[in-house]
Amino acid sequence: MIEIKDIWKIYQVGDQQIEALKAVNLKIEKGSFISIVGHSGSGKTTLLSILGGLTKPSKGSVHIDGIDVWTLNDRELSALRNQKIGFIFQFSSLIPTLCAIDNVSLPVIYGNRVMKNDRKKVYEYAEELLSTLGLTHKLTAFPSELSGGQQRRVAIARAFINKPAIIVADEPTGDLDMQSENDVMEFFSRINEEYQTTFLLVTHNLALARMTDKVHSMKDGMLISANNGGSPS
Amino acid sequence: MNISLTSLALQNLARRTFRTYALLLAIAIVSGAIFSTSTLMWGVNSSLKKGLSKFGADLLVVPKGSMISMKSALLTGEPSLFYMDGGIMEKIASLKGVKAVSPQLFLTSVEGNCCVMGNAFIIGFNPKTDFTVLPWLEEKMERPFQIDDVIVGAANSYAVGDKIFFYGQDLNVYGKLGRTGVGLYDNAIFLNIEKAYSMAEESHKIPGVAPLKLVRGHVSAVLVQTEVGAKIPFISFTISKDPDVKVITAGNIITSVRQNLVTLFGSTLVLSFVLILANALMISAIFSTIVNERKRELGILRAIGARKTSIFKLIVYEAALLTSIGGALGVFLGIIIMRVYQRTIIFNLKALNMPYLWPPASSIVLLACIAIAAAVIVGIAGAFYPALKGSTLQPYDAIRAGE
Repeated sequence: MIEIKDIWKIYQVGDQQIEALKAVNLKIEKGSFISIVGHSGSGKTTLLSILGGLTKPSKGSVHIDGIDVWTLNDRELSALRNQKIGFIFQFSSLIPTLCAIDNVSLPVIYGNRVMKNDRKKVYEYAEELLSTLGLTHKLTAFPSELSGGQQRRVAIARAFINKPAIIVADEPTGDLDMQSENDVMEFFSRINEEYQTTFLLVTHNLALARMTDKVHSMKDGMLISANNGGSPS
Repeated sequence: MNISLTSLALQNLARRTFRTYALLLAIAIVSGAIFSTSTLMWGVNSSLKKGLSKFGADLLVVPKGSMISMKSALLTGEPSLFYMDGGIMEKIASLKGVKAVSPQLFLTSVEGNCCVMGNAFIIGFNPKTDFTVLPWLEEKMERPFQIDDVIVGAANSYAVGDKIFFYGQDLNVYGKLGRTGVGLYDNAIFLNIEKAYSMAEESHKIPGVAPLKLVRGHVSAVLVQTEVGAKIPFISFTISKDPDVKVITAGNIITSVRQNLVTLFGSTLVLSFVLILANALMISAIFSTIVNERKRELGILRAIGARKTSIFKLIVYEAALLTSIGGALGVFLGIIIMRVYQRTIIFNLKALNMPYLWPPASSIVLLACIAIAAAVIVGIAGAFYPALKGSTLQPYDAIRAGE
């Protein structure tokens, strides 16, 4: 379970203090599939990054399975990001010098969880993920050789390589066409059901949001409402 | 498909080829300069040590006004002619603390049609009292040294058993000295001093040949070996009371060569250290740029689980890899340049009274390792701050900064 308690994020810009998040409280049950919607600058991405251990809140706490994320040291926090959380960013987030399958496998290598003999298994799983996302023919392609949509799908595959308990996704289908978007959402749904993976999506796309179990709205750094969405599948 | 720290670092370096090659070249120039300078200094120093240890004499007594010529003769093998009355040997031998005294007589041959072979630096020595030539024979005949025998320095082309002739005298090459880098031992031909006197007398009888202007009983230098624990400065002072002679100590010679060494290489060393500092600053500036360019990427690596230390290691490793390749390239270029210009280098060093002997392969390998290690240390030092800065960025801030 994820529990966000009284989270504030205040940025200092010159003499001005900008409150990106104001007293946000949120509980997300294990295996839930929720989305957060809101205008640009409403604080969605900031909330996602605090929840994922990427940026430190000015105030408040984030508990994942009872662990206070922001009290962890660098080693523990890195291990949490590596093993428990899968990130999908809203922009191209691939390492340009690595081919698709290496990009997907990278978190496992960084997590130091595999011995050399197990690397074969990691690559097999990476290949399986890429195939599921329709990229069988692009395993050894470098990011510069992939379209925006293909790069996004590689990044999605990478988020799943360590079979994380939580997926945080910022506009995960931003560069995808309608068909690919449906395929990705179907894939998310399948993973959600099979592994009880918790999904937290940030999107502008209301149609996409409605495919999740619960839709939270944000405005001016605050969570203002929560509605039940539809089925993700 | 095998990701490792090395492959990641290499791929990152390959992104900006011009920048990488320019950095490699800058590092290669510095490490090449350090390696070449230290190899040359090592060569001069070890040659000096080896040569002077073979010299075996604690003091060298020469005629007044011939000290510079003697040093030149000793270090570079440059033939020099100066003489004094050999009677001084008895006086020196009678001093307290003197263990042995042996004369040396310098001659130069002038090539002639019938009777003289080559222009050689000939040194007459007394085999009965000698303690500086015979003990250092590397090759020799299986019999005692005789009156018609000569011993050649390593730089001579003669081999043991060869026949040579000077001023109508047939001489046998009895033995050969090992290479020392010190001219006196490498270039000269040593023969019995009695033979030298008789050869000088015979030279007057040979028509068409410039006679050797030498008086029997004269010597060019007296080598003095002292007792263990003897007060060398006191003995030197006592001998120096004779107004017609000068005393040279091994320390004098080493000091004068080292002064030349410092004059010649001092500025190169200072320049090398300035270049090292400039390289470290340049690496620091370039790696700051690299970290800035790759902020988003570093943020992403942190997001997928890379620790601060992993990011730090990645950046420092890139710098170390780059500088080790640059360092190795510099050493390689240094070796090639020194090999191509080795004759010129040795010629110029000898012109400055500096003996030279190439250091043994093991020393060259050691100096190469030191030069490469120095380059790597410069790389790590230069990249340290940018790496620290890159590794301590908040992942999300880094990602956003790169947007």
